[in-house]
Amino acid sequence: MVFNSLIFLVFIALFFPLYFGTKGRTRYWVCLLSSYLFYGWWDWRFLGLVLFSTVMDWWFGMWISYQDDRESVEEKWANGSSVLRLFAPITRAAASLNRPRTTVLIFSMCMNLGFLGFFKYFNFFADSFTDLLAWFGTTPSWTTLNIILPVGISFYTFQSMSYTIDVYRKDLKWETSLLRFATFISFFPQLVAGPIVRAVDFLPQMYEDKRFSWKNFNSGLGRVLWGFFKKVAIADSIAPFVDQVFEMPQAFSSSHLLLGVIFYSFQIYCDFSGYSDIAIGIARMLGFRFPENFRTPYFSTSFSEFWTRWHVSLSSWLRDYLYIPLGGSRHGKFNTYKNNMITMLLGGLWHGANSAFIFWGFLHGLYLILQRFVQPVWRGFVRSTGMPKWLDNGVAMLTVYALTLLAWVYFRAGSIGLMGGDSFSTANAVLSGIFSFQNFNFDSIVNKFQAMKGMLLIGILLLIEVSNIYFRWNERQLDTPAWRVTGFAVLLWLIALFGTFGGSAFIYFQF
Amino acid sequence: MKNALWILALILVFFVGDRLVGGLMLRQVDQSQFRYSRLYRGEAAAEVLLVGNSRGLTFYQPYIESVSGKSTFNLSYNGMPMDLAKALVQDYLDRYPAPERMVVDITTCDRENDQLLAGFVPYTRFSPRIDSLIGQKMAWVWWSSRLSHLFSVNNEVFQRALYYRNRSDEDWLLDRVINPELAKSHLDKPSTIGTNPYLTQQFKEMVAYAQSKNVKVELVIGPYYPGYNVVNLDKFKSELEQATNMQVRDYRAALSDPNGFGDLSHPNKNGSMTYIDLLRKDAVLP
Repeated sequence: MVFNSLIFLVFIALFFPLYFGTKGRTRYWVCLLSSYLFYGWWDWRFLGLVLFSTVMDWWFGMWISYQDDRESVEEKWANGSSVLRLFAPITRAAASLNRPRTTVLIFSMCMNLGFLGFFKYFNFFADSFTDLLAWFGTTPSWTTLNIILPVGISFYTFQSMSYTIDVYRKDLKWETSLLRFATFISFFPQLVAGPIVRAVDFLPQMYEDKRFSWKNFNSGLGRVLWGFFKKVAIADSIAPFVDQVFEMPQAFSSSHLLLGVIFYSFQIYCDFSGYSDIAIGIARMLGFRFPENFRTPYFSTSFSEFWTRWHVSLSSWLRDYLYIPLGGSRHGKFNTYKNNMITMLLGGLWHGANSAFIFWGFLHGLYLILQRFVQPVWRGFVRSTGMPKWLDNGVAMLTVYALTLLAWVYFRAGSIGLMGGDSFSTANAVLSGIFSFQNFNFDSIVNKFQAMKGMLLIGILLLIEVSNIYFRWNERQLDTPAWRVTGFAVLLWLIALFGTFGGSAFIYFQF
Repeated sequence: MKNALWILALILVFFVGDRLVGGLMLRQVDQSQFRYSRLYRGEAAAEVLLVGNSRGLTFYQPYIESVSGKSTFNLSYNGMPMDLAKALVQDYLDRYPAPERMVVDITTCDRENDQLLAGFVPYTRFSPRIDSLIGQKMAWVWWSSRLSHLFSVNNEVFQRALYYRNRSDEDWLLDRVINPELAKSHLDKPSTIGTNPYLTQQFKEMVAYAQSKNVKVELVIGPYYPGYNVVNLDKFKSELEQATNMQVRDYRAALSDPNGFGDLSHPNKNGSMTYIDLLRKDAVLP
């Protein structure tokens, strides 16, 4: 079930009264069953995996805690639910093996990454290994498996892993209720495409009394409408232009290709941040606070800033659970560069089982490293020439955007690779077409209607985002009903006028 | 309750704005020089009626008119679905004196295209046929366009009407030469054409309706790039010949110069003029 479908409207219209009409455990059951319905709508078989991961990670958390403080856990079992007591003998038996708590964490990591590796990366690594053997003149006889990639597996796996890691680090107490934990993992607004909500942020919110609040409703609805505008009006409107460019780059002029790549940068931004906005908005209406996932990333003046504005929930997850444990920037320059690169390469791999995604991660790793060399030189130049702040920021912003565009070409081509195409030859064809500068003019753009519509919509997006920095529309609407009515009406008009209503899937579902 | 009043205000403001702006935009459609706006405004009387999909646009009107001295009107549109073509032809014939002849590129009969059909929502106000077609095939679009007038102009057809607000749309034609390497790389990827009983029936009814108005109907297959293979084209042609009891004039291989094509299925301006000369030589066009 996707947010931009009629069935979801029906779903949410039924869900809200059920949610606010219930309390306590019944409400969690409503949330859990609704989330499973939402997720199972794609393919009910995916539910088995979510259920299994949920139960296992919940139990790993219990096991780690039992290793730390047996008495306290025994007490919880004695006073707890029958489900909790069911796990007591299993945990005691596991604990009798006398494994250190680190080993339990490793079991949990192996299970989560094992599922992710099998469902998402098995064929990729099998193919890569075959290619490697072929390079040495050996042709193995095995074939790849016909594996269906469960929607959103990368997102909920990372959420689930955050729980066991936080329990291990003692940043979070183990959750005694399987129902609450299962609701956290499967909570439908963020289940399939994030934001990646960490257990430490979400589980404590589940203990709060969530009552209907007009402030939450108004604030959440604003986010939902803004997300829908970005998704159905912008991302889906420019998608056909982008698809044409990457399907047959040889057929288009230099300017057409460049416009296609610029459009893609906004398509993916609007598609993904639109989803996050809708997820954050729905959660807010229900009384939950999700972390921000995007903060106008294309206004970044450095790559380190870009990664605090783009897919923040993933980049901060990778920072806290990978980059810092690897040593972060604490052990000299070389190790810092190495840790940057490892983090970005794995960030690229997280997006998809294709070497173009890894290359995209490599480029961003390289940008982060090069930035450390270039930035001091640039700062010196700015100081010596007395360059005004606006020009300094403008040049930095354009440079970051241009290099991000270059990386996006490989990222988009990675999606072609996932569908069996040749991602690198596509990306190279797009780039060589752009840099040939042949017919570099507006007349050579083939579908001018789509091009003009796309430019108009991107203009509207930038106008709203820039003006929001100064006028804070999202805050004003909360205090002043007149602003709210005007703002929401404008968004509804824009959606009606420009929206594409085919219920197309969000790009990040494939990840 | 007081807290919810803004929702009522929002609904009111939305509909007032929607009707005002939507109405203003629909007026642009009414006043446009786009062919369908002219059709329903009563400014499309012609001696030769041309019908097709994107390939029908190669009936390059300025050239036909300059060499024949006859007025023309072209109903063709990229990806035109057959049922819509029938409705447009019937609307035309109901509104104007019968043209001398109607030339149809039969490859139009290969598809339904409900997405494009939905784009003709701005013209439902003038055409009960299009109104009922969209109502039957794209009910959600029909209802949404009643709910929101802005939604009814949310389509490519409206954008074109706006683009041609003050300019003619009759002299547009693909004016580029296909990249030979690209053409070569696609010659081994044939396209397929086919029809079905619904489409054939629509085609048959369109031809019969024109004939009932004493319009001479000419059925043609326009040129394809030399060597480009369209699978099932012979079968497709014979099915339509059987359905209409008419002969289809086949120009698929009529142009041998690759420079006469903008892509594999579309002659460019030069190719179109050569094609039109051939049609005139065979008396398909005046």
